[in-house]
Amino acid sequence: MKKIVTNFSMPECFNEKSKPSMFCPGCGQSISLRHLGFVIDDLGISKNLTFAIDIGCSLLSWNYYNFDIIQTHHGRSIPTAVGYKMSREKRIVIAMMGDGGGYAIGLQSLLHAAFRNSPITAIVVNNTEYSMTGGQMAPTSLPNEITSTSPEGKIAKLFGGAFHGPELVRNIANKNSFIARATVSNPIMLETILKKAINNQVSGNFSFVEILSLCPTNWKTNAKESFEFLGNMEKVYPVGEIVNSSKNKNEETDK
Amino acid sequence: MAKVLAQLFVDLDFNVSYIPQFGPEQRGTPSVSFIQYSKNKIACPRYEKADLIVVLRRRALSQIERFIDKDTEIIFDSSTIPRKLIQQNNSFVFGIPATKIAEEKFSHSVLNVIVLGVMSKTYLDIPKEVLWNIIEKQLSKKFAKKPELKKQNQAALDLSYEIELENVKYSRPAYDTHNEIIVVKGEDKTAVLIPKYCKGCGICILKCPVSALKFGKVLGVYGTPTPDIDIKKCIRCGNCFRYCPDSAIKVEKNI
Repeated sequence: MKKIVTNFSMPECFNEKSKPSMFCPGCGQSISLRHLGFVIDDLGISKNLTFAIDIGCSLLSWNYYNFDIIQTHHGRSIPTAVGYKMSREKRIVIAMMGDGGGYAIGLQSLLHAAFRNSPITAIVVNNTEYSMTGGQMAPTSLPNEITSTSPEGKIAKLFGGAFHGPELVRNIANKNSFIARATVSNPIMLETILKKAINNQVSGNFSFVEILSLCPTNWKTNAKESFEFLGNMEKVYPVGEIVNSSKNKNEETDK
Repeated sequence: MAKVLAQLFVDLDFNVSYIPQFGPEQRGTPSVSFIQYSKNKIACPRYEKADLIVVLRRRALSQIERFIDKDTEIIFDSSTIPRKLIQQNNSFVFGIPATKIAEEKFSHSVLNVIVLGVMSKTYLDIPKEVLWNIIEKQLSKKFAKKPELKKQNQAALDLSYEIELENVKYSRPAYDTHNEIIVVKGEDKTAVLIPKYCKGCGICILKCPVSALKFGKVLGVYGTPTPDIDIKKCIRCGNCFRYCPDSAIKVEKNI
């Protein structure tokens, strides 16, 4: 058995000095980052990895790992990752962001990175609201969901229904990109999906993973209620790989 | 708590400046409030050094250290913060074992009222009814939901007017985060629990399929209870390890 010290349960690539982390108790992003850490350990890539984070709760991971992390502007973790990868082709580059950084202010960057098949891995953590700023309604908020800017429930007629990011990205993305949705309620599948996404980058293609996550602080739920809400999210946002449609015409034409 | 104080000063005909520094940007970090009260006009809400500092948790020390000079009076919760961590060259350091009294006699949540009572008696010398009116108004919604809370808070306030501040001999910080790793040895497996990473989110308790975990007496990061494990019930399924956002628990096979 491993020596019993305080990093007994942590991935190797964790920066132990930053723990306990700044994430709230029960944060789904913290769970996701931990499993990403285990995947990075398994693949042995921590010495060859750069991580780009966005504004919002993802910035709380600024010192989470012991590899390079770049803090970017809001909605710009993907373009920064793309530019960085262009100058350092052999490194693995992962861009992390939340609902706002991925589907609101950063949507354009996400779509174009998918369209170009930029060889980076983008991860959007979806908890149906904008957490850092106090739980405001996001594109991913479910219809009738109560958030701080939809106190009587999100009116789908005015604000749209539930925003299906990976499905949207799949429609424009290159055929060789890997697009999937995972959930923190199934950490084993989460790790499998993250591994596939990173390997897809290694083969020179874009990958995108949306992770359905928890936010007990803004949802104002305890552990049980949080996972119940996550269950509701999974009914609206199907989990698994988003498979290429046969109608997809976006493929590399010059080799 | 600072809001009640600020209101109290307003009621006593002072000019008051009250700046609470907490909210979404401060998730996971301690909240601090800055109050100024004066019979004169207050020129600026900011100040360099405080006349009085009240600090209730060890984690808040780093936020308030820069406001301490040799004349600053410091009131601290001696049941959660070791005296030696507070400025050594300052003699105006007074302890109240507020968390200990709250936990032993009432419930955790009344500790603020206890501190308020001691402060208003010692520094303002006002009758407790004056303070109680403001507390009652502030917490009216909570009291309406749970009437027994009102009685509890009232009793806590009554008791607080009898408490003497500690200045020479301080209580032991028994309600601080437990610093040691807890190792529970079973016949064929060993559980490792790390309270200084546990934020008490309760997810491991929820996800344990055999109910081997429940909240115990050992305190974690925020001074809140962490789980105890019944190692005989545990089946080493790995759920607690997989779901913990903070790497605070793992059960391994004995070799």
